[in-house]
Amino acid sequence: MSTDTADKVFEGIRIADFAWVGVGPLVSKYLADHGAEVIRIESSVRPEPLRRAPPFVNDEPGLDNSGYYADFNSSKKCASLNLQHPDGVKIAKRIVEHCDIVTESFTPKAMRAWGMTYEDLCEVRPDLIMISMPMYGLTGPWSMWQGYGHVLQAAAGISHLTAYPGEEPIGTGVAYTDFLVPHFAASALLAALDHRQRTGEGQNIDFGQMEAAIHATETMVLDYTVNGREQEALGAGHPDYHPYGTYQCAARGDDDDRWIAITVTNADELAALADAAGQPSWTSMDPQALDDAIAAWTRTQQAEELMQRLQDGGVPAGVVQTPEDLRSDPQLAHRGHYWMLDHPTMGHRAYDGPSFRLSDTPAELTKAAPLLGEDNEYVYKDIVGMSDEEYVEHLVSGAFD
Amino acid sequence: MTTQAAAGPLAPFRVIDLTNELGQLAGRMLGDLGAEVIKVEQPGGDESRFIGPFRGDVVDPEYSLHWWTFNSNKLGATLDLTSARGQELLTKLLDSADFLIETCPPDAAAALGLGVERISASHPGLVHTSITPFGREGLYASWKATDLVGTAMGGLSSLCGAPGRPPIRPTASQGFTQVSAQAVVGTLVAHYQRTKSGRGQHVDQSMQEAVTFTHDNASPTWDIRGINNGRPGNGREIGGYKSGQYVYEAADGYVAALSYGGLFGLTARQTIEWLDKHGMAGDLTSDEWLAKLDATQGLLIPPSGEDADHLNDVLVAFCKKFTRAQLVSEAQQIRNGWGIVHTPKDLLENEHLAARDYWTEVEHEGAHVTYPGPWAKLSKTPLSVRHRAPRIGEHNLYVYGNLLGFSDDEIMALSEQGVI
Repeated sequence: MSTDTADKVFEGIRIADFAWVGVGPLVSKYLADHGAEVIRIESSVRPEPLRRAPPFVNDEPGLDNSGYYADFNSSKKCASLNLQHPDGVKIAKRIVEHCDIVTESFTPKAMRAWGMTYEDLCEVRPDLIMISMPMYGLTGPWSMWQGYGHVLQAAAGISHLTAYPGEEPIGTGVAYTDFLVPHFAASALLAALDHRQRTGEGQNIDFGQMEAAIHATETMVLDYTVNGREQEALGAGHPDYHPYGTYQCAARGDDDDRWIAITVTNADELAALADAAGQPSWTSMDPQALDDAIAAWTRTQQAEELMQRLQDGGVPAGVVQTPEDLRSDPQLAHRGHYWMLDHPTMGHRAYDGPSFRLSDTPAELTKAAPLLGEDNEYVYKDIVGMSDEEYVEHLVSGAFD
Repeated sequence: MTTQAAAGPLAPFRVIDLTNELGQLAGRMLGDLGAEVIKVEQPGGDESRFIGPFRGDVVDPEYSLHWWTFNSNKLGATLDLTSARGQELLTKLLDSADFLIETCPPDAAAALGLGVERISASHPGLVHTSITPFGREGLYASWKATDLVGTAMGGLSSLCGAPGRPPIRPTASQGFTQVSAQAVVGTLVAHYQRTKSGRGQHVDQSMQEAVTFTHDNASPTWDIRGINNGRPGNGREIGGYKSGQYVYEAADGYVAALSYGGLFGLTARQTIEWLDKHGMAGDLTSDEWLAKLDATQGLLIPPSGEDADHLNDVLVAFCKKFTRAQLVSEAQQIRNGWGIVHTPKDLLENEHLAARDYWTEVEHEGAHVTYPGPWAKLSKTPLSVRHRAPRIGEHNLYVYGNLLGFSDDEIMALSEQGVI
């Protein structure tokens, strides 16, 4: 475990994390990486889906072998508990009694069926802060609907704005809202924690993922409610600026999928672009012809060199970086974005740290993701206070499966 | 108008907001959480007041819907930060503030009095958050970035678009959204530390690094398998495994028909029964197909190949026959997590959001404008959209009079000198 937690931001804050997949674990990761004790509560009977999703080390599926799960769960502990077991809920409540925060992201019926709603859990922990993060919120006609981040980006209007012009709304290639709404949820949670710090009062947070995601659509809503206009997707483009796009560069070895983003927001930047290309006529060219001319030029250029040259001239430009590129990106290296951590079965692996740097109390990823049930003895004996006999009894009965 | 009484959790705190479009959502979110956010703009109005679209397409600094969206729940004061007197006033303002958020280019920060050391020396209790394209320091710190450069350099664009075609970005700026929302998290982490230590600190937030958060599993996939997830077009890519289509055309628009796991998802048998009920399951009811589908149930690796193509053809034909609402509500009954691809109009007419009382009416000089409502429902300290974005200099009297204690005459003089 962590060597020194004396000046960790969230030292002494304990979280029972019942959430799964993307949104919930990424919220508790913010707290774990800044010193909170986050206890993942999972079961081998119905495993956390990401433990079963690739990439797996050596391409071997295994609950303790998924990089997808690992990256979202640095600095955390894990207790296994089968909530369907007759003693499961009772034991869960004994954990919650010792926690400041409960996080969960099931459809609302799960916690209701287990008798683990905010009201229920306040009976064991009156100043609890609980955040529930279902796709569509705790109430309303769609509250029991299931979904995924790919689907929710569509439901929130983001896919409508993510397409080649006039084509089908493909959305981003990722489960986008899983990587968007955790920041909103964490902000609400941290503000509630601050409120509790000042007043002693906990509270319940009904976090409907769709409602937060709509705040990522910029002016899409007001353009409709004020002007009656439905905004449309522009590919890589921008409604006000041109040129503003991605252009293919020269191949790098056998890799002929190298691209650069070149954008111009004013006349000075256009002049700088024309100057960098040695093409004075670009400042007065028709937009389509200019796009074609830029594309023909970039195809002969090496992407990284071109980026350097354009930035030196004052043109906002950047390589369309791949995950491989990012691992050797000098700026991310300067900021120490990737953390190399040792995992008992997965080995020495890269983990993503938070994107901000606090000058006095920076994040520290204290350990790799937990094995399923890795911290059972600590959680059940040291925190909950079970005797050896009771612990073994529950172990044998399958409560910890 | 939303209730004035609602006080968010951050109601006791004051924020000085010196952000441009890169970081304006951050101040907005702090305002939504209840803080008093004072947006400080240059005399004559902030540059972002000229970002469209505009109400009625009239280009006017008071009609920018960009300004309205990102500056509601803020007060507005004008101040010329390039003048010495202006910087003095900023120092006084910071004396009364708990947070400073700014998007000053790193190479211009010192000249504007926004150097990290200077602020921390004069205001050790302040949480000072810098939002920049690449971070305050490092090789790229002085580089310029638009939203597309941010989504490119941070890696999102390499995962957006179709194979062989140009990488794209969401037309609503996600680099700006990501960096702003993550800056709020960093700001509140620093704030929590201050509640214990009494000391503020600097939060250095980079757009490029914020965009790396959006990679899904692409980062561990490169680390573990040495494969770059790419642009899947209308599909997905998990762990380097490409899958087929998931956005389908319905009779009245599009649905996102994702099923997770196995050849036809974890609910393959129920899905086939559903298609069969509508007479559109084709040969999928055969024992051979059911055996194939059962055999892949445990896998969460997306399907590909001829079998996947066949299933896709069946779904393409099926979805075209029905409306989005019927498809999705029937899919949800068998626990398929499908959803509707909403247009703006769909969202505003959506029954679920209406039932949750999501939309908020905000008053603009007698007229009411519908805005997205709070992004979280807190039981004890509710969030709200309390008021519209400020007009140019609208709260100068409050800020320079009530907060800083200047007389009306002194404020008039500052105005005549062009300081405010």
